[in-house]
Amino acid sequence: MGVLDYIWMGILAVFQGPELFSILGLPISVTLVMILSGFLLGIMVGATPGMAGPVAMAIALPILISVFGYNQSALLPVMGFLIGIMKGATVGGAVPAILFNTPGTPDAFMTTLDGYPMAQRGKARKALRVAHLSSVTGDTFSDIVLFICAPFLAILVEAYLDLPEKTALLILSLSFIAAVIGGSPAKGLISTGLGLLAVYVGTGDDFYPRLSLGSQELARGFPIATSVLGVLIIGAVFKGLDELWQERRAQGEISVIPEDGDQRLHWADIRRLLPYIARSAVIGTMVGALPGIGSTLAATLGYTVGRARHAKRKTPEQTSFGKGAMEGIASTEAANSSVSGANLIPVLSLGIPGNAAAVFLILAAESIGGFNPGPSVFRFTQDEVNPELVIAFGLFTAMFLANLMNWTIGGVFMRSMGIMINIPKQVLLPSVLLLTLTAIYVQETRIEAIWFALGFGVLGYLMRRLDISPLPFVIAFILGGKLEESARQAYAATGNDPFFLFTHPIAAVFMAMSLGVILFTARKSKGTT
Amino acid sequence: MTPHSRANIYLGLGCIAFAALVAFVWVPLDVDSGLVEKVRRRLAIGDALAPTVAAVFIGVGGLVLVLVEGRALEQARLRFNDLVFVALALSILVAGFLIMLYAGPVAVALFASETEYRLLRDTVPWKYIGFFLGGVFILVGLITPSENGFRLRTLWVAIAVVLVLILIYDVPFEDLLLPPNGDV
Repeated sequence: MGVLDYIWMGILAVFQGPELFSILGLPISVTLVMILSGFLLGIMVGATPGMAGPVAMAIALPILISVFGYNQSALLPVMGFLIGIMKGATVGGAVPAILFNTPGTPDAFMTTLDGYPMAQRGKARKALRVAHLSSVTGDTFSDIVLFICAPFLAILVEAYLDLPEKTALLILSLSFIAAVIGGSPAKGLISTGLGLLAVYVGTGDDFYPRLSLGSQELARGFPIATSVLGVLIIGAVFKGLDELWQERRAQGEISVIPEDGDQRLHWADIRRLLPYIARSAVIGTMVGALPGIGSTLAATLGYTVGRARHAKRKTPEQTSFGKGAMEGIASTEAANSSVSGANLIPVLSLGIPGNAAAVFLILAAESIGGFNPGPSVFRFTQDEVNPELVIAFGLFTAMFLANLMNWTIGGVFMRSMGIMINIPKQVLLPSVLLLTLTAIYVQETRIEAIWFALGFGVLGYLMRRLDISPLPFVIAFILGGKLEESARQAYAATGNDPFFLFTHPIAAVFMAMSLGVILFTARKSKGTT
Repeated sequence: MTPHSRANIYLGLGCIAFAALVAFVWVPLDVDSGLVEKVRRRLAIGDALAPTVAAVFIGVGGLVLVLVEGRALEQARLRFNDLVFVALALSILVAGFLIMLYAGPVAVALFASETEYRLLRDTVPWKYIGFFLGGVFILVGLITPSENGFRLRTLWVAIAVVLVLILIYDVPFEDLLLPPNGDV
């Protein structure tokens, strides 16, 4: 079995999976339909202020698992659907940002700066075209980098990292995520510590389930759906609701600005935009490859670099950044969209999720079974087929197909999504809350799960109010078990060496980097006080 | 955000105290093995180490918050209104889920007293009574505060949303159980 054989098997797994229907005798696989459905749903969700890709992923997951079951053949349709949502939401977020000055997703905030002024000048459709072109170009570039880098990185990790190094790498990832998310390393560390503490309740090797306070409910630990959905989704909904209750429908009627003049995107426009798209795509991909740094930072960096270039080169008659420049939309959208593919590099090569969407992909893989994202996936076994590797290449194919859909029908569908702004937030948020809680109950079928989820929701809300990012909590919750397991194995494998993290050179370097990143960011945050 | 507030210092000290409580009280009292234990005459990492590491993360975070970020210009803090919101939202949600839990059994006791809810939990309309009433209560309760008082339209919207949820999660699937039917 060579590399090309595996790639081909991955492609076939997508196209030759269970057939849903056929067109002119051509069988259409269920995976293909799921990718398309996820993609279209993602655009709708992204275009709806108050909703985001992860919310839709959270709500869809129990339904998908119920439809497809817990077997390996469910992996590609389910994960293909989630990938579709992830990609669609990235594009869709720009729609309300441009049309109504309301970002559909947080990373589309910078798009409002130039998108809305363009819409006010009657160029809404053109602005949407710029956003789509930039977004889809950035996303495609990022995916290509993922396809090349993830297997390569995974092979390097498998070849050079042993148990102590892998333990140190997990600690480095957690420290890095704690340090860089949210701008406060101290709060990141607290969030990480709370996530670790939560995952260790009711688990362990001993007969007595640790930290369970003698309670039967805690003895089974916190189900991953309750903690992840609680902190990430319910916490966010609580915050949104709180803001709505305070506003009490202060918003007035939504006005639609009439379009004026040529709305097409000409080749000359594209040539003008390409340098901005290219720079932002590289920035977004680099930012995305590091776990924990989100698309909002990528958008800000892309916009800042684009603005500097534009200020130097623009002619007097060209519009400045912030006043409705096409280049501003292109810089932002290319940067935030190119994060999504690269964000899967640490997931697929190291098993470390870097953002909320990646968290849900890992959740899906863990719920269904048969695919454990991490370096072991990329074992190119010669004599027998490695099914996980086929799935990995199937996922790459799904991403490629989602991009193809984005290039072909994404723009048209996206431009018709302006109506999503009419969904009232005061109805949407409580509905999402009930949907999420129902999804959790359907998965866990016990009322304790609801109480746990509400508890984690309150924690997520309080964390947001205190400017503590909930993402390190969630990532620590997911990686906590793996960290402990790997440390136990490393301790045994090194002959009970208590300093195994420091006596192996690569592990010691990772540990020094962990400390370094915390100290460096703490010093930097002190400098800004 | 309040300039020159001491919120970070209070939060940091709270985290240090919580970490100390976890490491020195909760873990020793509620975990069977120590940081390291002897299993079959070989040393192994005990169940207490991982939660202690978690406490170290929280404690170090608190310490950095006090020492380094204690004088940050913009510090987020909890306000009384935040706690009021949590209390209100939780009351509505908990009351709604209690309605979900008990409305079905109460309805069966009133209108079908010859049997019990447990036996009817997969039978229409009994299996939907709790979810329908609890769900509508939650939605009306959470939508009303942002609409300047109760409106009949809110009730219709809530009913429609709950019916859609039943259509999504229950009608197409035989193996999925809506709340509270997994517990009774």
